[in-house]
Amino acid sequence: MATVQLQDVCKRYGGVGSLAAVQDVSLTVADGEFMVLLGPSGCGKSTTLRMIAGLESISDGRLAIDGRPMNAVPAKDRDIAMVFQSYALYPHMTVAENLSFGLKRRGTPRAEIERRVNETAEMLGLTEYLARRPAALSGGQRQRVALGRAIVREPKVFLFDEPLSNLDAALRVATRNELTRLHRRLGATMIYVTHDQVEAMTMGSRICVMNRGRIAQVGAPLDVYRNPADTFVARFLGSPPMNLLPARLHRTPTGARVHVAGSEFPLTRWSDAALANIDEVTFGIRPEDMHLLPAAAPPQPAISGTVASVEPLGAETLLLVDTKGGEVTARLHRDTAARPGETVRLAVPASAAYLFDPDGRAIAADRVPQDEALN
Amino acid sequence: MQAQRWGDRLSALLRRGPLLAVLVLYTLYTTLPFLWVGAMSLRTTAEISADHYGLPSPAHWGKFRAAWVDSNFAGYFWNSTVVVVSAVAIVTILGAMAAHALARYKFPGNRLLYFILFSSIIFPPQIVLLSLFQILVNYNLYNTRAGLILVYVSLQLPLTVFILEAFFARIPQDLFEAARIDGYTDFQIFLRIVVPVGMPAIVTTVILNFVHLWNEYLFAVVLVSDEDLRTLPVGIQRFMGDYFQDIGMIATGVMIAVIPVIVVYTFFSEKLIQGMTAGAVK
Repeated sequence: MATVQLQDVCKRYGGVGSLAAVQDVSLTVADGEFMVLLGPSGCGKSTTLRMIAGLESISDGRLAIDGRPMNAVPAKDRDIAMVFQSYALYPHMTVAENLSFGLKRRGTPRAEIERRVNETAEMLGLTEYLARRPAALSGGQRQRVALGRAIVREPKVFLFDEPLSNLDAALRVATRNELTRLHRRLGATMIYVTHDQVEAMTMGSRICVMNRGRIAQVGAPLDVYRNPADTFVARFLGSPPMNLLPARLHRTPTGARVHVAGSEFPLTRWSDAALANIDEVTFGIRPEDMHLLPAAAPPQPAISGTVASVEPLGAETLLLVDTKGGEVTARLHRDTAARPGETVRLAVPASAAYLFDPDGRAIAADRVPQDEALN
Repeated sequence: MQAQRWGDRLSALLRRGPLLAVLVLYTLYTTLPFLWVGAMSLRTTAEISADHYGLPSPAHWGKFRAAWVDSNFAGYFWNSTVVVVSAVAIVTILGAMAAHALARYKFPGNRLLYFILFSSIIFPPQIVLLSLFQILVNYNLYNTRAGLILVYVSLQLPLTVFILEAFFARIPQDLFEAARIDGYTDFQIFLRIVVPVGMPAIVTTVILNFVHLWNEYLFAVVLVSDEDLRTLPVGIQRFMGDYFQDIGMIATGVMIAVIPVIVVYTFFSEKLIQGMTAGAVK
């Protein structure tokens, strides 16, 4: 087991001065931790993983595994194992040969290889397929062989590069759970790359959200979800994503108020000091935090608009509402009876509001709200 | 019920009829000349002159012994075997390594090198014949098996690299990276991953090169003049005179020459088909 430390790690293709694919990434993955690198395509998460694996050189910065500098250590000597998106099984070898290929190279005694291969095959339910070639296996079985090839090596660090992307939805859920159980069982340090936020939220001890080659935020999945560091993280985590609306602050003798989508709310979670020198902000609210106000409800601050479309998903209903500030999505009860063209009011709880400064960075709330609703 | 089944069979036959007809015609077109030469190889030239298309009755099996022993075909066969097997082995090893390097490694001039190598395919062999002759004379390689082997290697290398590079480039990069993490060096990866995975393509080039070089005449006749070093295609020429051609013995010689090609093709044909259809199906 091991700790992985990245310090100001950069990756540039084409020498100094060229555009960096990964820039100033500093991250510590603790011993036994399941760290998920999450981000959209091209954000640098796979490149970061490949630098840890030794498959890409590090242009700048420092990588250490268990305190030992690794920048110049070749991939084979880093004591890591990697599971690839394509599985990368050797097509001309049987499952048993695939599993033992790495051990043979390391001069592991034959009896030990056999023991480990059999043990791993049993753990993953592959015993009856040991004599088969990858072409004769299903997608899920191939995925397990790829996993087994990593496990059998008993490495310090497991690296996963979107290993579930090629599986169908049902198998993905099953394998996700299998991986989580495996992590608990092995207690190994694992770094997992994905663009799928559900995988990140359900599997990671911590997640590291990346954007444009930089780390946007690191933290426990729910912490990151509840306290996004910027508008990118706010929109990237959550489905449907957080609603972000342009807003303006007004300072009154009773405290700051926000003017958004034709409505005005008091801001009970932010002190005047927290909002000093800021006029234009972005107002954020998650779709699941809003609820529909009945027509007879007493007047109260809410975002009003016209229903653009209704998407009944069975377990819930999504309402797309055109407001003066832009389109807003609300995730509502499945029995919601709103119809397109109807004018509706969506109430917003005080605790659920987010504010972002003009650069997109979150403005930290420094007060506990007194009420549940903004009024 | 029975009539219905016959009706279905008839309509299926009618649908596939034109295709079957074309296949049968093409098979006859390629097989009949071969069978004709096979028949002639067991007949004397006098018999052939009397009846071009007659059957070998009686079959003169002794002609094969005569060609092999009396006309030095054993020597030609040995020369062909040494030259062609050596050339094919060298071409395969060099070609596979070059193709792997061109397909896998990014280095300055990679595509330029590939283009230069490949562009030599477009030149007709006659263009390089004279200069090769001169080079071989200068390096004391004229009239030697080694000289002919070297020329054959240089002739077949571009096509070999071209075929193998295209195949190797399709081997997923992840396989190499997995092997690197498993602890293998670049050369071990070439031997243990690229060669086995690329075997269908390698066998394809082995067959193409073997067949082509086994039948090669132009360079063999120009670059080797010593009777004891002649290869089979040149040896067959012995039966051709200015005024008389021993058609019967030529046919016998051709049959002796063609046997190894058939053996090689039969042995590797399954891999050849795999190599030619690779990529067509996933």
